[in-house]
Amino acid sequence: MSERSAALLPNQGTDFAAALSAPPVNNLRRIGGEMFAWSDRDPRRSSALPRGAVLRHLLGRYAGPGRTVLVAGPHADEVVVALADSGASVSWLLRSLIDAEEAARNHSRVTVLAGAAVKLDAAEKFDVVVAADGVERLNSAEGEQMSAAQLLDRLAEAVQPEGVLLLVHDNRLGVHHTVRLEPGARERLDSNWNSSEDENDTQRPASQQQLAARLAESGLTVGASYAAFPDPAALTVLVGEGLLGEVSSPLRPRLGTALSQAFAAGFRSRPVLSDPRRLVNRALRAGAEDTVAPAWLVIAHGAGAAPVIDRHELLIGDARGTFAYEVSSSAHEVRTTVLEPLAEPIERSGLRRISEPKAPGADVGYVLEERLLHLAAANDLRQMRLELAQFDTWLRAQAQDGLLAGPVALAGLADVFITEQGPILLPTRWEPIEPVSFEIAEARAVWQFAVQLLTSGQPHPWPIASNALDLTAVMLGMVGQGVGADQVRAAVELHVRLEAAEFELSLAEQHDRRLQLLAVSPGTASVDLPGFRELTEALWRQRYEASHLLAQMDWTEQMIKSRDLAVSKMDWEVQFYKKTWAGRFLWVSRSAYRVLMRDGRKFVRGRRARKAEGSVAVR
Amino acid sequence: MAAHQQPAMDEGMHHANYHYGHAHLLARYCDLSDPLHPPRLQGYLQHGWNMGDGLAPGTPFVDGSRIFVWSEETRRRSWSQGRRDVVVVGAPFSYLLAMEPEPADAPEPEGTIFYPFHGWEGQQISGDHQKLIDEVKAVETGPVTACLYWNEFRLKSVRKIYEDAGFRVICHGYRGFWWRDHNREFLVGQLKELRRHRRVVSNRLCSAVWYGALAGREVAVYGDPMVLDNADPTFGGEPRLRRQWPELYGHQTDSAATHALARQQLGADELAHPDELRALLGWPASTERVK
Repeated sequence: MSERSAALLPNQGTDFAAALSAPPVNNLRRIGGEMFAWSDRDPRRSSALPRGAVLRHLLGRYAGPGRTVLVAGPHADEVVVALADSGASVSWLLRSLIDAEEAARNHSRVTVLAGAAVKLDAAEKFDVVVAADGVERLNSAEGEQMSAAQLLDRLAEAVQPEGVLLLVHDNRLGVHHTVRLEPGARERLDSNWNSSEDENDTQRPASQQQLAARLAESGLTVGASYAAFPDPAALTVLVGEGLLGEVSSPLRPRLGTALSQAFAAGFRSRPVLSDPRRLVNRALRAGAEDTVAPAWLVIAHGAGAAPVIDRHELLIGDARGTFAYEVSSSAHEVRTTVLEPLAEPIERSGLRRISEPKAPGADVGYVLEERLLHLAAANDLRQMRLELAQFDTWLRAQAQDGLLAGPVALAGLADVFITEQGPILLPTRWEPIEPVSFEIAEARAVWQFAVQLLTSGQPHPWPIASNALDLTAVMLGMVGQGVGADQVRAAVELHVRLEAAEFELSLAEQHDRRLQLLAVSPGTASVDLPGFRELTEALWRQRYEASHLLAQMDWTEQMIKSRDLAVSKMDWEVQFYKKTWAGRFLWVSRSAYRVLMRDGRKFVRGRRARKAEGSVAVR
Repeated sequence: MAAHQQPAMDEGMHHANYHYGHAHLLARYCDLSDPLHPPRLQGYLQHGWNMGDGLAPGTPFVDGSRIFVWSEETRRRSWSQGRRDVVVVGAPFSYLLAMEPEPADAPEPEGTIFYPFHGWEGQQISGDHQKLIDEVKAVETGPVTACLYWNEFRLKSVRKIYEDAGFRVICHGYRGFWWRDHNREFLVGQLKELRRHRRVVSNRLCSAVWYGALAGREVAVYGDPMVLDNADPTFGGEPRLRRQWPELYGHQTDSAATHALARQQLGADELAHPDELRALLGWPASTERVK
């Protein structure tokens, strides 16, 4: 925001002294339209740079020695480095001169083109054109401006007849736009000199089909396309042909879990209008994930002999790093294949990152969490008890001496897939290095579900003003396990460890998180994605609880009056009876009985003690 | 018995949770340390089968309180009547049956236990007891026990009508009022009586008939239903009972059908586990030290 920059921040313009003292770089070409005093790497000025393990994996399939690659627009360094490492000859188009110079200095093997896409040499063609950032940052503030459609054409023209284009295209109907709650967003970023959310550009492809048609006009054919989640800049789940829109696909339940996890991580602490997980879940039921996907990733090839383009049904990868795997189905069997291993073993907070996710077993079944949510909404307590009992039995069977080891110890109810043969574990990310108590592991899974029920405002059959501990106790009670505050505290501790490992929380952040999670009450709006809808739901619950408390106070007042009256009457009766001869006799007898009992006990105790002393002395 | 004294407050409120020893029975089921003196339930427990929202008509209700109802159907109806925070726990009588299944060597049940429809402390009934007795005598073949509500049992004139008919006349006791004079063993005694008999009969569909059906007895509702003074017609009154649950009406009924209906109405398949029930009622968990 210019006002902010001008008024509050030190001048971030070009550091001429540094520029003059920097050694000249010979792998930088200024093609025109480059921006001065500008950087797309500053998160306060421009949005996040595209990255992710699935992106790196896909790019790795097309880059290689002898191949020419054009990376169009700002990308995370790791993406470009991976391309250069493959032996390909990489050119990188950046509109910011500062970024271009830095890139040229840091990556001597890469040819950096500083300027706007409109200035690209039309005659230069590439084997691979990468535009994982879309086309929004290919215009510069300087000179001629191209429309989104023209930029797409320009990228397509840069592809050799035998080459491929890998493009990520932002979906304006994507769930990330729908749930955005960012007042002043239009004015927030310095990069928004032209709004990136112009909904009325009739030329800009607004669906995957329109995108394919536009590329076809430039002679490109889409070989593979994916609905990409959860954020265009950090794609961690790609849904491809065979699964996309196929509600009967055996991979469907796994997709639901993967997307839920992806949104939980991708939107963590980001204020939203409404929890995107619920919207996506509805879209998945309708087979409409393509419509609401935040972006589409397409791989298109030219008219010539293009390289073989792999197609995947479901690709899942880390937002940072290399780890990516594929989930596929064939002959009624679901398979998980690691495509890119972890770069190195990861251990944090006493947990170890799982390097070989497995999803064995039958392809028919359901995810336990989804089933329980449904049963909770349908008030089907009977079935819910059966489901939880089955989970309890399954988990218990895997414990040895009351301890659980391996991924199952940190499994949430969303990680459990129920098949005809019984529950199996879906791919998870962490396992404890040391085994975990069965009771604590189970309490964590159920507590996490309780928190979800509460904070997401989903219907459930239990009291409205329940807190997370109440609901955990009810659900664990269903399987005959009493649970108190101590067990839930231990479960929350285990959960904090899991989050600390996943999100690399500092000690202070862990402390705050612990306090937040221990206090999940009816008025808690959210514990991961702060949603406005969820906030208003929580407010409603708070008001409900407050009105009940006020009514309860009135009632208590009345009760106290009533009970006082009753006690007063009884006191009067007691006094009356005490005054009669019979009453006095009873009172004296009772007092005598008490004295006798008290002294008698004393006497007996004393005698025993003396006897015991005596026997010791004899020995 | 201090029950008939005018209380400081109207009928209702949480003291109804202790009627028929309901709270005591649930405390026993939950294995609380002192079931004779259970802690307060955090809400209103439905204390009799009804076709309304689960609360007795006119119950002074503390806004926002939980209502613990016997069946899923009652929960739905209660919601439709504007109640919220309605939680299904099942009828205390169902818990009693779960705790005390009928022994295999129990003596063969015999005769009929007859519950003339009763009013309660606030509503008296008008009707012809003699006409009712004549019909029962004509239909029932074995010995008949007439179980009167406590306020009718107190009236020698009413008791005498049934005694003169040759019926054994009993009363399950007083359900208690305002935390006093509860018969904590009310339901235990009732179950014992129900099991002594082969048939359970009444002139109006009521809790006792459902209890009988759940306990595996033949049930039948017939005869002059009598009418309550100032009966509340909100939920359709007696004609609705007949229309909605015809399976229980007539001299002879289908035992399997009535038993299945009783399971629904008394939530016999919805019973919570003791630990679950503790959590729902706001009682201490089994792992917690009782303060």
